[in-house]
Amino acid sequence: MKRSKRFEILEKRPVNLDGFSEEWAEVGLIAMESEYDPEPGIKLENGLVVEMDGKHREEFDSIDLFIADYGINLAYAETAMKIDTLEIARMLVDVNVSREDILKITTAITPAKITKVMNHLNVVEIMMAQMKMRARRRPSNQAHITNLEDNPALMAADAAEAALRGFSEIETTTAVSRYAPFNALALLVGGLCGKKRILSQCSLEEAMELKMGLKGLTSYAETVSVYGTEAVMTDGDDTPWSKGFLSAVYASRGIKLRFTSGTGAELLMGNTEKKSMLYLEARCLFLTKGCGVQGTQNGSVSCIGIPGAVPGGFRVIAAENLMASMLNLEVASGNDQTFTHSDMRRMSKLFMQFLPGTDFITSGFSAMPNFDDMFAGSNTDCDDYDDWYILQRDMRVDGGILPITEEAAIRIRNKAATALQAVFQHFDLPEITDAEVEAATYAYSSYDMPKRNMVEDLKSAERFLMRYTGFDVAKALWEKGFHDVSENILDMLKQRITGDYLHTAAIFNEEFELESALNDPNLYEGPETGYRISEERWSKMIQKENILGPKDF
Amino acid sequence: MKENLNVKKDYPIADKRPELILTPTGKRIDEITMDQVLAGNVKIDDCRISDQTLEYQAQIAESAGNRQMAANLRRAAELTGFSDERVLEIYGALRPFRSTKEELLGIAEELEANGAVQNAAFVRQAAEVYEKRKKLKGDK
Repeated sequence: MKRSKRFEILEKRPVNLDGFSEEWAEVGLIAMESEYDPEPGIKLENGLVVEMDGKHREEFDSIDLFIADYGINLAYAETAMKIDTLEIARMLVDVNVSREDILKITTAITPAKITKVMNHLNVVEIMMAQMKMRARRRPSNQAHITNLEDNPALMAADAAEAALRGFSEIETTTAVSRYAPFNALALLVGGLCGKKRILSQCSLEEAMELKMGLKGLTSYAETVSVYGTEAVMTDGDDTPWSKGFLSAVYASRGIKLRFTSGTGAELLMGNTEKKSMLYLEARCLFLTKGCGVQGTQNGSVSCIGIPGAVPGGFRVIAAENLMASMLNLEVASGNDQTFTHSDMRRMSKLFMQFLPGTDFITSGFSAMPNFDDMFAGSNTDCDDYDDWYILQRDMRVDGGILPITEEAAIRIRNKAATALQAVFQHFDLPEITDAEVEAATYAYSSYDMPKRNMVEDLKSAERFLMRYTGFDVAKALWEKGFHDVSENILDMLKQRITGDYLHTAAIFNEEFELESALNDPNLYEGPETGYRISEERWSKMIQKENILGPKDF
Repeated sequence: MKENLNVKKDYPIADKRPELILTPTGKRIDEITMDQVLAGNVKIDDCRISDQTLEYQAQIAESAGNRQMAANLRRAAELTGFSDERVLEIYGALRPFRSTKEELLGIAEELEANGAVQNAAFVRQAAEVYEKRKKLKGDK
């Protein structure tokens, strides 16, 4: 065939480097609306669920049973299950029906029913409903802080800059897992160098992640995964009861927790029971709810390649975020992994959460260049900051971060690296040299950092974790003269005494105040209600160095 | 009779009812300062949440209509008295294929004997479910 020049050019567009797949319902490779998803239903006897979504209690697997016993508000279930799914879908987009009235219904229905509600909604309706159903009034954002070398000085500097930009949470993981204590330490010190309370976490295997929290090196946990089929849950090395117990353990130490799940995970791990991605995610969310955890990180997260490849992929991801909000869970809504070569797809995906606003629009924006992002790269990285700011400005949308000046960034990065250098010195850990502090202050990436002795680092990271806690870090910083950072760390440790930030969607704002769904709920009921950007914040959002004023004309 | 807190008037507790918050060691929040830390009067154990505070937070959750969170916070309150090592071990024992039914029932007894009644019931149910769904030691 003689080739069309237009088609030849099209073929080379970035979008055509992406992988796409047909639906294949028999193996669960289908976003939603699968003929294999069960029909909704519930039957109670003496307050006990004896039938749910087409199964009798004797046939329940461990996830069914946990959802039936803990996940659903049974007192209202029989009434709520009688309401037509289309009626519930319409209530979701009706500004005259309050979030609270909807929650009464949606927390009392079954996974199959909530899945069917979603099937009625198109993407704009999902966004409309997301704007209304988000738990906290103000949307916020989270950053990833990692690097290829696990370089602690660079990590502390990146954490400090992320805090300055206004991220409410920062999350790290490791390139080499034994570096974990240093990475957690770098975020603790770096993140708290400024005038702000910021939550930090270190994503690790469940028991190790818990240990970081117990030691006071982290202040929340997020990567606590649940899955929608029993076989995959078992492969993930947990059960609903082990995860439920873990939830109580975190709360017993005053540490904020959210679970993680997402469409595509069960397919990726090889067992879908022929169910659609959305139905399996609904099960994850009811399980999360049943554990009494305040929130979830979902939105396909690291499995986005799978829903991203099938028809309706972005729609299903937006729908799963919305389902979390419909169970009154905080939602950190993904947008945290690279999945496409196309900038147009990348931003279109983001807009489904960016425009309505979620509790955390990304559950990790890479604060470094993507090659340093050890979560396998994020949907947006540090090269995208200015695009993000301009998009906020173009649309008067609050994406959770604010522009900063280069001077302020350099100042805070230097302070963070210097503070961590002092901590390392105090605990006799392998030296952070002045050259490293200087490099971390001005670095683009880990390529700009001097090499460290990894063997020495790993040995002392282990020793550090055995001997010291966040409390000792506060003392060390005081003795080294970093009094403000020391006070900030003690202040974060004190938060776990009060338990206030264990509640749904809790973060701290720029004034050190707690904002959660309980004291600052989203009460959207149409135009001029819900979250509106204040004039003060707006004036900060539109500042950029290259913007022209009357003086320039 | 302890009072029953309400989300509308008592939350955040640290701002609205700070007098109610005491650490397990009996300290008030405003007593935890760097001065006191440096003087040796405040230790890491003073930076923990107490079972009573968790009960208050459970009441807040309940009044906000979140009964599942209230239940979790009450299970958490029961676990404040257990060491970090022990809770880590129990979590491990609840993971699939780690424990026999008898071992799980033993943990339930230990929990109950130490006042963790709701956790004990939770672990007992796990033992039953694990037996039926083949998640006990040796079932793999």
